[in-house]
Order: sequence, then structure tokens, then C-alpha cells
Amino acid sequence: MSDVTIDKKLIGEEFDVIDIVVKQDEALTFARACGETHPRFTDPSHENFQIPPTMVAKFVGRKIMPEGLKGFFVGTFDAGKVVDIFAPIRPGDKLRASSKIADIYEKTGRSGPMTFVVHRMEFTNQNGVKVACVDWRMVRRTPLKAE
Amino acid sequence: MNLDLHSHSIKSDDGRAKVENYCEWIRKKELPLDGFVLTEHRQFDDESDYRNLEDEYGILILKASEVETDYGHVLIFGVNTDMRHAYDFGAINLSLDHVIEASERCGGMAVPCHPGRPNVGLAAHYHERGPVNSVTIIETRNGGSRAGEDEASIHLAEAYGYRGVGGSDAHLVSQIGKCATRFDTPIRNEADLVAALKNGDFEAVSCQT
Amino acid sequence: MSLRFQDIELGDELPEHRPDIRLEIVREFAGAARMDAAARFTDHDKAREEGLPGAIVPGIMSQGILAAMVHGWSGDGIIERIDTVFRAMVVADTEPICRGVVTDVDPGTRTIVVDLTMQNEAHETTVLGTATVRFSV
Repeated sequence: MSDVTIDKKLIGEEFDVIDIVVKQDEALTFARACGETHPRFTDPSHENFQIPPTMVAKFVGRKIMPEGLKGFFVGTFDAGKVVDIFAPIRPGDKLRASSKIADIYEKTGRSGPMTFVVHRMEFTNQNGVKVACVDWRMVRRTPLKAE
Repeated sequence: MNLDLHSHSIKSDDGRAKVENYCEWIRKKELPLDGFVLTEHRQFDDESDYRNLEDEYGILILKASEVETDYGHVLIFGVNTDMRHAYDFGAINLSLDHVIEASERCGGMAVPCHPGRPNVGLAAHYHERGPVNSVTIIETRNGGSRAGEDEASIHLAEAYGYRGVGGSDAHLVSQIGKCATRFDTPIRNEADLVAALKNGDFEAVSCQT
Repeated sequence: MSLRFQDIELGDELPEHRPDIRLEIVREFAGAARMDAAARFTDHDKAREEGLPGAIVPGIMSQGILAAMVHGWSGDGIIERIDTVFRAMVVADTEPICRGVVTDVDPGTRTIVVDLTMQNEAHETTVLGTATVRFSV
């Protein structure tokens, strides 16, 4: 068993807020590397130019975990991402992102017992519009002690 | 009749399929399925009522569970209140022997699934710790198996004289019906399913393309 | 050429897509995603030293590849949600195959759901998920 203890009371508590400026060169490289061909993602002169929807999943806060889960991140794998896009995000947008833990659960899989922590990041743009939400499922192979 | 005995809906943490979409898919693709069983992970879905979908699509929809034991994952058919008091469906390290004994005592049936899969399948645990005597049926056809895993399950069934069932282990709509179980007797509800499993009048079928 | 909602049917399959995941492309992605400090995404030898089979493709790049496949097929279709499960590692310099199939068509919201998979050369599903796509016409 791991020496990291999970306190499920951390679910729902906001633990980080950051401000992000979306960069055009990063958006273009991201789109090109993923194989996007639609000009709204590849051509800055396109009238609806925007970042690829999944690019919002690349942003991380100053803290990936709240204080109470600091030890969890070491040895985790990225088990999946859910990206919800509510409005286009464009290069130059100034986003404010807040992080919280949305869920903690245990299960067993091909690689043995695992603990999942779901990190939720919600993005609001400079006009106060909620533009995206990303659920990042992090998994660690050794089950942690639940409180 | 053919039933897919192993499927997950959005009620499971990793399920991405709505039950109605399974029904539409079966009809659209004209799959040779008369019904499917929802085996949600670590829980029994008490709330959902699929009778309207059954009527609309002419498909049998049964509810069951997939629990996690010290010998891997196990499908639980015929779930009832007594059974849910007998062991914690949400736990991840139940005793397989106890799950089988309690399920049968409460009128249900426990069937270890994907036995050929590492860690969550019976075969790896048998190799390390020996067999569990109360096992009688295992899932020999699983739609999510990787190369060699179903072969290991079939080998296990032959070695110990187990009967085999099949299920898709669908988590996405397009995965339903990849494997199923053919029954010789009509099944109308969970009780009929348990009775048919106890009678042994069935065989696992693979519908993989 | 953009697809119209009325032309889409349940069961429609997207054209199979073979993404370019040569190491140089993965490095480019890792740079844009600010993940290039992690050698497991940029260097086969260093990744092997970590016990990996080679440099791996970041999960969010696999997700981005699947999104690009959906855009390439749908044209002006807007992805409202993409939900991917990373089941196994995707190794750079291999040749995976991405597939998609329409599993829900909702005229009320003009949205569809596409089941998505990425398979490796051994036909194992490494990434799976769904995308919800909205059409204006």
C-alpha cells in the first residue's frame, strides 16, 4: 500500500486559479501536429480562426493537486480527458482557469488495483463567459488508503 | 435466443453508451441479439426502468452487476436485496468464494468474466493461488479481449470443466453484440436467466467481424 | 466540402485515418503543449530507460488526432464534447489506425455522437471515446 492518504473531503474544493493568455503560435503548432486541416484551426486570416478544441486540455495550473493530495501525482498516468467546449477560444483570449477535484474512486484493471482522481478545470474568458471544462482522470496503480 | 450478457452504460464510470442508443444500434445493424444485460461496475442500478425501451424496440434489457474480487471481476446475475446486503458491491477486493456462495444462496449466479485478462481475470490468480472450487461458469468470449485472452479462458474452461458464456463488455454503443450467449430456452427476466444458467442450456458465441 | 446534418445517418463510418506520429511530429506537439521537458515524449532511448517501449504520444495528442479526424470528415461540424479513455500507450514512430462511427443522431439538437477508437499495429485499442458534434446546417 502507498503511504499517501486520500481524504475524500477534498472533492469539490477549489484549490487553484490561474490566468492564461492563449498564444497563436502554440495553437497553430498544436493544430498542425494533430493533423487539423480545417482553416478555422490552421489559417489566422480565417474569419472564425480559433484554437483546436482539445488544446484547452494542455493547460495546467500552478498546482496539479491540492495540498492534501500532493503526494498522489508522483507515479500517476493520464487515464483520460473529457473536454467540453461551450464557446470558441481564440488566440489572444485571456482565460481564467479554476481547479478542483471532481471525484476520487478505486477500481481494478489490467494492471491491478488503481486509484483515480478526477481533476476538473473550468475556463472563463475575458468577457466572463464560461468557455470550456476539462476533466482529467489521473490514475495511480497502487491503491491509496481512503479516509 | 441470443443475449449479450456483459455491457455497460453511462451508469458505469467508464461507460459511454446510452441504453437507448444500444437499442437503436441493434435494430439499425440488424444484430442477431434478442437482448442484452447491463452489468454496471461495482453497483446495481436500482433506478433505471427500461420497460418502455423494451416495448419500443422489442429487445430484452436485463440488469445485473460486475463486482471486483480477489480473483478478478465477476458478473452477478439475479441481483436482489438480500444479495446486496450479503456483500458490498462497491468494494474492490471481495472474496470470490464468498461472492459465489452468497449470490447462489440469495438466488442468483456469479460468473467470473474475462478470465484470460491480466490481474482482473481468473486464470492469472489460479496460476498463483490455485482454483476456487465453487466456480461453475466463466465468460469464455469477451468482446474486449486482446489476442490470446479468450483462448486462455477457453483453455481454463476445458481444464476445469466450466461452462462458458459470452458478452461484449461494451462500453461504447458500437461494441454491443460482439459476443453473446445462445440459450435454448426462452428468457423473459432475470429469474429466467439465472435458471437457464443453472440448467446449463447455453453456449458462448462470438460475433466479431 | 462540409457535411450537412441531414446527410448523416446512424451507422455512418468516418474514413479510416492513419495519423502521422513520427517522433519529430510528437516532439513538435510536446513543444506546443509545453510537455517537452518530459523525455518520455521526445526521446526513444530515454523513454526506454524509464521502462517504456519507446517515446510515447501524449494522451492529449491522441485526443487531438481523433478530434482532427472528426473535423476532417465533418467540415464545419463543431465538437461540443470529446471524451477519451487512454487505455494503453501509443508509441511514436508506429502506425496506428483511427476509426469513427456515428452512433447517435439527434435532430432536436442537430447533434451526433461518434464512437472513436485508435488501434495499434497489434489491433489493440489504445484510445477509445466519443465525440459529440453539432451542425448548424
